[in-house]
Amino acid sequence: MKDGSGEDNNVAPSVYSHVSRPGSHRYKNAKKGLPFNLMLVGESGLGRTTFLNTLCERVVVPPSELPNPEQAHIAEPMQFKHYAVDMEEDGMKIILNIIDTPGFGNGTDNETCFDQIQEYLETQFDDVLSEENRIKRNPKFKDSRVHALLYFINPTGHSLREIDIELMRRLGNRANVIPVIGRSDSLTPRELVLFKQRIMDDIAAYGIPVFSFPNSEDDEDDEETVEENAELRAMLPFATVGCEEVINEDGRPVRVRTYPWGVVQVDNDEHSDFDRLRYVLLNSHIGDLRERTQNDIYELYRTEKLSGNTGPAASNTNAEAAQSHATMAPHPRSVVA
Amino acid sequence: MSASDTNGSAKSLASNGGIGIANLPNQLHKIVTKKGTDFTLMVVGESGTGKTTFINTLLTTELIEPLDDASRRKKQLDKTVDINIHKAELEEKMFNVKLNVVDTPGFGDYVDNNDCWLPVVDFIENQYEQYLRQEQQPVRKGVVDMRVHACLYFIRPNGHTLKPLDVRAMKAIGARVNLIPIIAKADTLSPAALRQFKKRVMDVIDAQSIRIYQPPVESDDEHSTRRNKDIISAVPFAIIGSDREVKTEDGRHVKGRLYPWGVAEVENDEHCDFKKLRSLLIRTHMLDLISTTEEVHYDKYRTTQMKSRKFGEPKLKKPDNKKFRDEEEALRARFTEKVKLEENRFRQWEQRLIAERDRLNKDLEQEHNLVKQLESEIEAIANSGSPNGKFFRK
Repeated sequence: MKDGSGEDNNVAPSVYSHVSRPGSHRYKNAKKGLPFNLMLVGESGLGRTTFLNTLCERVVVPPSELPNPEQAHIAEPMQFKHYAVDMEEDGMKIILNIIDTPGFGNGTDNETCFDQIQEYLETQFDDVLSEENRIKRNPKFKDSRVHALLYFINPTGHSLREIDIELMRRLGNRANVIPVIGRSDSLTPRELVLFKQRIMDDIAAYGIPVFSFPNSEDDEDDEETVEENAELRAMLPFATVGCEEVINEDGRPVRVRTYPWGVVQVDNDEHSDFDRLRYVLLNSHIGDLRERTQNDIYELYRTEKLSGNTGPAASNTNAEAAQSHATMAPHPRSVVA
Repeated sequence: MSASDTNGSAKSLASNGGIGIANLPNQLHKIVTKKGTDFTLMVVGESGTGKTTFINTLLTTELIEPLDDASRRKKQLDKTVDINIHKAELEEKMFNVKLNVVDTPGFGDYVDNNDCWLPVVDFIENQYEQYLRQEQQPVRKGVVDMRVHACLYFIRPNGHTLKPLDVRAMKAIGARVNLIPIIAKADTLSPAALRQFKKRVMDVIDAQSIRIYQPPVESDDEHSTRRNKDIISAVPFAIIGSDREVKTEDGRHVKGRLYPWGVAEVENDEHCDFKKLRSLLIRTHMLDLISTTEEVHYDKYRTTQMKSRKFGEPKLKKPDNKKFRDEEEALRARFTEKVKLEENRFRQWEQRLIAERDRLNKDLEQEHNLVKQLESEIEAIANSGSPNGKFFRK
């Protein structure tokens, strides 16, 4: 929904400093809030729900009820659970719509999980497509296209597993896939560096499309932005840790996880990438993620659908054709010592 | 067999001062020390649960080496479970142990993990089968015994409960071997979360009737009984593995994992159950593991097999796993291809021979015609009245 009006003077400049292109989308009314649709995918136990609660700084997902031991041999099917949270970041209001996927990868055979998620993503595109084609459009139409898909990787310390490769491969062209390492506090710093490197090697080797902080196509980014994108690219995948309790340190509240051998500080950049990731999602790259979804990813889907070419094989060839300007192959990583 | 009197029960002879029977354990000790023993340990679990590190930590040596990048890449998508056997000979104070560690890379690592425990179960039963067959041979010397004495099942700590895959695999495995459940990478759970997880796992094990190894508790001395109770209460064992030494904040050098927020120590009972598990496997219950394998699990196998098979008869071959079937198909396809190629070759050769034959026949015919022509010319000259004709007349 294009809105040609200029910047809103009530909004802090930091949000728009990376989206400062004339004619790009703006939301006139900061009071309503900028909608951001975030999907969380990952096997159970990788800290998805804890991450969500930590991100929103409150308990959004209540702790799940005790599972029945007599049902433990049955895999619960994957579900899509929706949560809406009002957030405020640097003075800007955000309506965070979260889609959680409990049950993903929980079965003995998980082949159907990918199709279900793909179907969900495409349904949101279909809704927008049919809305666009209406003669009389609905002004209150809610755009549910997923702007970012956080995929939680198991901290094995080795490299990607088949389910990781398949998921990111199949969905990388339908959403901005951002790989994160769940429960990263089970890896020592040395192990984490090697693990990240191997994951990115795998992503390059298998040609997996992930969101790699691309610079703007018309080379309008300033040097600072280019540098920042390179830095973020080098941090992929983000190492996340979930907050279990808040303790008091020198009168200030600190979000931590406590072990017998030490205390992990969630917001400490030496302990995890959580803060950086939060900043990316809700601040520095919220505009980029939304735009890429609406411009590149959606347009690719629209082209495929309207020309009658849908399906994975077709989308691959179309994706290759659009490779130059839409999906970006991951840039070669510089080795982080 | 005891000598019996007419009542049918053996007389008990109390000896005064003893005749030296009490020395039998010492003799046994000497014999066992000389003979040594076989001990086979199996580790099962998804990749990245610390199986290799645990084994190397337990044995204080790098028995299993990590995969290099090329092998690792190959294994990522190959959808099979391998059985790798690592052998080592351990010697401590003149006592030898032939140790076998069986690793199962690929278990639970794929999108579709249905039946991934079948290769594990097959391996266990095959060892019983091998032993059974060897026992039935006329010459029983040099028996190779790779029966699995303990199977360590590494559970990924997802903080909730056992996965359906774990339930099904553990049920199948626990029915055939001493199954010891282990919580892998325990340093990712806080103490409270760990306690809760352990309880939930045990609840599922009970509710699903999964059979796990129960070490004997009661013992002759108070100290051992207490220690046994301690060990049992720790099940499933929460493990941290590390094969390198690090320095703690207070200057100690320990085996552990160095984090920015502290050192998780392997041999610290407050941090994990490594010492208890090591005790169970080696120091205190190794013999019990060996004897329960022989007297309970192997015996069960033997009984069921002997009921249905005659002495010396080989076992029915079960359908092979998918990888073998696929390979078989591929081989068959290649064989058919080759046969087709050869047939083509022969056919072409045949054609060439026929063509050659026809050509030669044609040449022959030409020569024949030429001869005929000459003959008729001679005839003509002979019959004509020319003066040269007389040369040609017989």
